[in-house]
Amino acid sequence: MSAILLIAVPLLTAFVSILFKKYSHYMLIAVSFLSVFALGYMDLETITIGGFDAPFGIVLILDNYSLIGLYLVNILFFIVAVLNCKEYKKLSSILLVSLAGLNGLLLTGDLFNLFVFLEVAGIAAYLITTTNKKPLATFNYLVQGTLGSSLYLLGLILLYAMFGTLNMSDMAREIGTSGYGAGVTALPFLLMFIGFGVEAKLLPFNSWAKGILASSNSLSGPMIASVYAAAISLVFGRLLTNVFVIEGTLLTIVMGILVFSLVAGEAMAFSSKKVKEILLYSSVSQAALVVLVFMTGFAGWAVYLIIGNATAKLVLFLVTNIAAKQLGDDEVDTFKGLFTNNKVVGLAFTAVTLSVVGLPFFFGFVTKMNILENMFLSGAYVWPALILITSFIEGIYFIRLLLNLWHTDGDSPEVKFDFVLKYVVVVIAVLTMIFGVYTKPVQDSADDLVVYSITEGGNF
Amino acid sequence: MLQYAAIAMLMLGLYGLLTQRNVIKIIVSLNIFEIGLNLFIISVGYVDDGIAPILTSNFNNNGLIFVDPLPSALVLTAIVIGVGTTALALALANNIYQKYGTFEIDEMGEE
Amino acid sequence: MKNFLAFVAVLVLGFLIITSLNNNEAFPNYGEADISERVSQAYIDRSATENPGDITFGETTDLESGPANIVTAIVADYRSFDTLGEVTVLFISSLGVALLLGGVNRKRIDLDFHPNFMLRVGSRALFGIILMTGVYVAIHGHLTPGGGFPGGAMIASSMLLLYLADDEFRVKIKGFKMLESVAGSLYVLIGLTGLLLISGGFFLENFLDNGVIGNLFSAGIVPIVYVLIGLKVGSEISGIIDNFLTEEAV
Repeated sequence: MSAILLIAVPLLTAFVSILFKKYSHYMLIAVSFLSVFALGYMDLETITIGGFDAPFGIVLILDNYSLIGLYLVNILFFIVAVLNCKEYKKLSSILLVSLAGLNGLLLTGDLFNLFVFLEVAGIAAYLITTTNKKPLATFNYLVQGTLGSSLYLLGLILLYAMFGTLNMSDMAREIGTSGYGAGVTALPFLLMFIGFGVEAKLLPFNSWAKGILASSNSLSGPMIASVYAAAISLVFGRLLTNVFVIEGTLLTIVMGILVFSLVAGEAMAFSSKKVKEILLYSSVSQAALVVLVFMTGFAGWAVYLIIGNATAKLVLFLVTNIAAKQLGDDEVDTFKGLFTNNKVVGLAFTAVTLSVVGLPFFFGFVTKMNILENMFLSGAYVWPALILITSFIEGIYFIRLLLNLWHTDGDSPEVKFDFVLKYVVVVIAVLTMIFGVYTKPVQDSADDLVVYSITEGGNF
Repeated sequence: MLQYAAIAMLMLGLYGLLTQRNVIKIIVSLNIFEIGLNLFIISVGYVDDGIAPILTSNFNNNGLIFVDPLPSALVLTAIVIGVGTTALALALANNIYQKYGTFEIDEMGEE
Repeated sequence: MKNFLAFVAVLVLGFLIITSLNNNEAFPNYGEADISERVSQAYIDRSATENPGDITFGETTDLESGPANIVTAIVADYRSFDTLGEVTVLFISSLGVALLLGGVNRKRIDLDFHPNFMLRVGSRALFGIILMTGVYVAIHGHLTPGGGFPGGAMIASSMLLLYLADDEFRVKIKGFKMLESVAGSLYVLIGLTGLLLISGGFFLENFLDNGVIGNLFSAGIVPIVYVLIGLKVGSEISGIIDNFLTEEAV
């Protein structure tokens, strides 16, 4: 089966669904389920569109890296869609387009096509966040997102002017063989890095994230913090490892941005009094960590970090948003003792949080441990120290949060979680623990995740 | 020279985005930024003495100098995307006005 | 003070970009771009798959891509997938505008002025001319400048004229929705036809005969796709205009 169907079918359904508004949410569920199902029948290949081989036409790349990304994003998308389809029926067509956009982002092998899908997915994201009923925050997101993707386009066009191609692998090859120094690509790469930094919530460029995620609901929170964050990080990872060559001064600037984002994110989470803000700043610093790991060259573990984060953030944002909706606000004080009445959800929440922090016997531990080990072996001692310190801060505020959620002196709040949600949350938590203890498959497969067909030339 | 003009326009838009606190003016600034960007993309494809990349009846079309057609095609896409975002931004501006009764961000008393 | 700081920052940034482009040995000066080093040369020569030799307008047949307008060849043939994404962007933003401005029962916003008889009749005459120009531009997109997007915008502007010249006028939104949906679906279906019904085919492949370059009936699926895009863009922008000029009836 051709991977193009992952984009074409949701699009076709979206176009049709505006005529049958009553059934559009069934279409959404069916299509998002089918695309998870269909992934099992995809062959790894480079797909040519329109019959023109790269670099003249647009190609889609389905290699191990994009396949694992597609599995992650489609499964998470399906979960979020199922849990919300009744409440947000109106958004079904938009969600279908956003599914097509996310799949396109992960698959595309063309830099300009990536910009188009960035905008498709981006506009869908703006519309998803309008359900927060905070038009000003959405407006900020729109302006900053558009500015970010425009900067990406500016960088891209500079690269085109120099190397005369838009195809990713062709571009990487041209840059490698052109014989110019790293100086010529510094400006375009910096512009593209900033552009993607806006979307990936890296710190100086992410003032939109607070307005969006601090007032998110059970659709927009998990969607933006989990599904979109995973997709954007994966695409960012592909650019960083396959296309960009970052050296010299540029490397210093970029690393500076990342370290600032990592440390400041943790510090802001540490000082927050609202549950959603804690989660939001923690995901800011996690995004910076992912990019950092990609840049230091351990792409396989970065992918595992993304998987761990995306699933964890899905659980955390879902539980928090449902509780916040029923309790009225998301102050830590209101949440005190939340889990004394909801032990199942509480245990799952705890397991996932501990995994994010990176305690032993959880999935997060395996990833963090291996990243640290690999960094030590490669002789870079600054980064492991930094990661350890930030993990320590993270540990403090998350455990403080958990203590608050489990323990109260007064009455504990009443919150009802429905059955489907409990099921999803528990399954994710159990998986986190299984792969935290039974680590062999994770250890063995880390290098296979990042077998790129792109570097082997695709279709030349 | 056109490239400098385009970059000046980009910077003008960026200045507007940094300083303006009115929703409509922000949208206008964003549009100036995008138009500057489009101008820059076009300028990248210009060739001295080049003609529009369209084959016409009066010539044997070999040996003619065309400007680079790819940036023009990319700009077409970029313009349409710009139109889409602008329409959405204006609709959001409408919602903001209905909620707060003003376009000035400072007068909304929130965030 | 804040404005001044922003001004200085912007000046410095602009200066940095210009100097770094000037000192960049790989970046061509204005007007000195070498197209033969870029992929565009293959689009001009139509030699992405095989080299056809000299191209003569009105004579050469069966090129890999048929439009005489090279920009159209790129937009609707070589990089047609981008265009599908672009159509999707417009589609979703028109959906979004309808969602944000919302409401089922809508009526026209009250305007301060009421157009007189002459304006109403005159604009109706003009409407037809603008509409036909739009359709002409969309149909001839593969031969002359223009194409589906400008054509669609012209169709929508003819609607805008009617909206502005008559304070009672409203288009049939249901019909436009239908047109939008059908045109979009047909675009994807044409793409899927290339993939599924032709053995060894590709998504969005030009499966029809390319004909003689420069003829109205040439370039295979390109004019069909461009007309569909024109209809879709026209109906989407008309929908956006309608949403902005109406309000929820109380």
